[in-house]
Amino acid sequence: MTKEQGAGISEDQAQSKKAAKKLQKEAEKAAKKAEKQVKLAAENQADEQDFSKDRYGILPMIQSQEKLDRVLVHVKNLSEDKADQMVWLRSRVHTSRAKGKQCFLVLRQQQFNIQGLVAVGDHVSKQMVKFAANINKESIVDVEGYVRKVNQKIESCSQRDVELHIEKIFVVSAAEPRLPLQLDDAVRPETGDEEGRATVNQDTRLDNRIIDLRTTTSQSIFRLQSGVCQLFRETLIKKEFIEVQTPKIISAASEGGANVFTMSYFKTSAYLAQSPQLYKQMCICADFDKVFCVGPVFRAEDSNTHRHLTEFVGLDIEMAFNYHYHEVVTEIADTLVQIFKGLRDRNQIEIETVCKQFPSEPFKFLEPTLRLEYLEGVSMLREAGVEMGDEEDLSTPNEKLLGRLVKEKYDTDFYILDKYPLAVRPFYTMPDPHDPKYSNSYDMFMRGEEILSGAQRIHDPQVLTDRALKLGIDVEKIKSYIDSFRFGAPPHAGGGIGLERVTMLYLGLHNIRQTSMFPRDPKRLTP
Amino acid sequence: MVMAVPAGVELSALEETLGLGLGGGGERRYRQGDGGVPVLQTNNRPDLAGLTTIASHLVKVAKKEELLGTTPEKSAIVQQWLEYRVTHIDQCNTQDDKRTILKDLNCYLKDKVYLAGNNFTLADIMLYNGLHPIVAGLTHEDREKHVNVSRWFNHIQHYPGVRQHSAAVIFMKNRLYPTVH
Repeated sequence: MTKEQGAGISEDQAQSKKAAKKLQKEAEKAAKKAEKQVKLAAENQADEQDFSKDRYGILPMIQSQEKLDRVLVHVKNLSEDKADQMVWLRSRVHTSRAKGKQCFLVLRQQQFNIQGLVAVGDHVSKQMVKFAANINKESIVDVEGYVRKVNQKIESCSQRDVELHIEKIFVVSAAEPRLPLQLDDAVRPETGDEEGRATVNQDTRLDNRIIDLRTTTSQSIFRLQSGVCQLFRETLIKKEFIEVQTPKIISAASEGGANVFTMSYFKTSAYLAQSPQLYKQMCICADFDKVFCVGPVFRAEDSNTHRHLTEFVGLDIEMAFNYHYHEVVTEIADTLVQIFKGLRDRNQIEIETVCKQFPSEPFKFLEPTLRLEYLEGVSMLREAGVEMGDEEDLSTPNEKLLGRLVKEKYDTDFYILDKYPLAVRPFYTMPDPHDPKYSNSYDMFMRGEEILSGAQRIHDPQVLTDRALKLGIDVEKIKSYIDSFRFGAPPHAGGGIGLERVTMLYLGLHNIRQTSMFPRDPKRLTP
Repeated sequence: MVMAVPAGVELSALEETLGLGLGGGGERRYRQGDGGVPVLQTNNRPDLAGLTTIASHLVKVAKKEELLGTTPEKSAIVQQWLEYRVTHIDQCNTQDDKRTILKDLNCYLKDKVYLAGNNFTLADIMLYNGLHPIVAGLTHEDREKHVNVSRWFNHIQHYPGVRQHSAAVIFMKNRLYPTVH
């Protein structure tokens, strides 16, 4: 054997070895393919014989076919004490994330959410996991599962100590796959955009209000707003007020004709009420003594600011007093304080939730409420370098600055500014007996913005006529108003609060549209 | 362009600040040269042009050279801020420009009493004059946001003789606004 031969042989051998390897590889491939096909076939077969096909699916439309005595537990009640129990619940699919043989869902109900887990097991098939992963976000599902304690807290959910091991999942109402806005984007704090992640601007939110209202922030805002109304009623009823309903379609503009909506009314025209002013005063003249009213108020001002709406909810108070209008001021201020206290005690969770997205300092107030006279306010502003006349009205920036000065000096976000110049108030405002340049009128402020405007009203028809004439008001047009006071009218005072403003300023928000469920402004009439 | 005090008026005020009455050095008259640059006409010497050039000259006439810096380093810093006054502050046109100037100065003044460290110099006077219309137009919130500028400005406006005829700007002693972001 020569070396060459040897080399040749080994070459041959090497070649045949290579070929053999190739063959083997191909065979292996084929085998694998076959195996896969067998597996697929098996799977397909399994598809046909899905052992958990009764445990998931799309429910027929609920048309009240049957009355199940199934107890649906609210997500907010799922906590450690329910551990290892089997529960049913109805919720939305907030997010879903499939990962191999399991699928994580975040199930949301109002502002609460819990982590759900669909994992392949004794009762759960692969197909079921796949189905769960494919449910569109925001669909409503009925879910049955075991509540299980978790070792590590789930920070992204409101129910941190437990998760739900899902055994059954049915779609009650499917959502379309594409949402006009993402809920997670809509609750992201605007300050935290260092990651460059999306936030949703105000107009997009309002255009798709029903989606935006589902966010934890919106849910909390409107629950708190409901609390404001409830506390307002509770407090006043305890103070022996009665609730009245007044018409909103009126025949004459109550305060000057400029900012009023005119509407056609059969063969004539009518106006939408700018405030229940006339009617609450008429109630006082009709011996109801202490009245309040909660209802819509309309303003046709074409102002596109952060704090003006064309329709808002007015909380109005009117009350007869004995000798001094401060009796009324005290009652109103106390009512507001009771509201603040009530919110603080009952709505802490909501306040914290809103704070997560819109951070603000907690609302501070004093008891009894701080009352400053207008001139004191003006002198505080002058000390801060503001130039203004004694009888000049407060501009919005000055109003805000005064709020900061008061906060710094007295540490309160809520105060009363009393004794406004007569010239800047409506004609029915009672002049100050000691200085006719001023009046028995007052504004109340929260975080430096006006929330209530009120005054002692003139209950003497002659004085009322004189004031109206002096301001150039056509006395004929307000004849019925003046006439109400001709048959004995008690001295009275009152004020009106904007519900949306109270909510906005209590929470330290910056736009009134956030606290109006379906806001109306000069540019928005829908939704 | 910030509506500043005319340069002639500012220089006359500076004369008073420096204690140059009608006597010392004789009567000085200012006229506007090309492009609004002030020109100082003197009796027996060639005309001097330019706000900071004239200002430095006046300091020497008043024999207060320490206002131009006592060491070479300090002098360089003073010159640098005088330059800043005419190139940046006098040329600022937009809100953005103002904000940038205030932001930069606020940062620079963080660890300083005066522009050139621990000594009062001509730079403080000239920057005070230049910034007056800007600072006077700020809201309290903005003054608080630029707290170092406000501290320096308030200090300089109370420095004997500096303020002259310009209005005092009011600064609040306490913080009004919660930690401004």
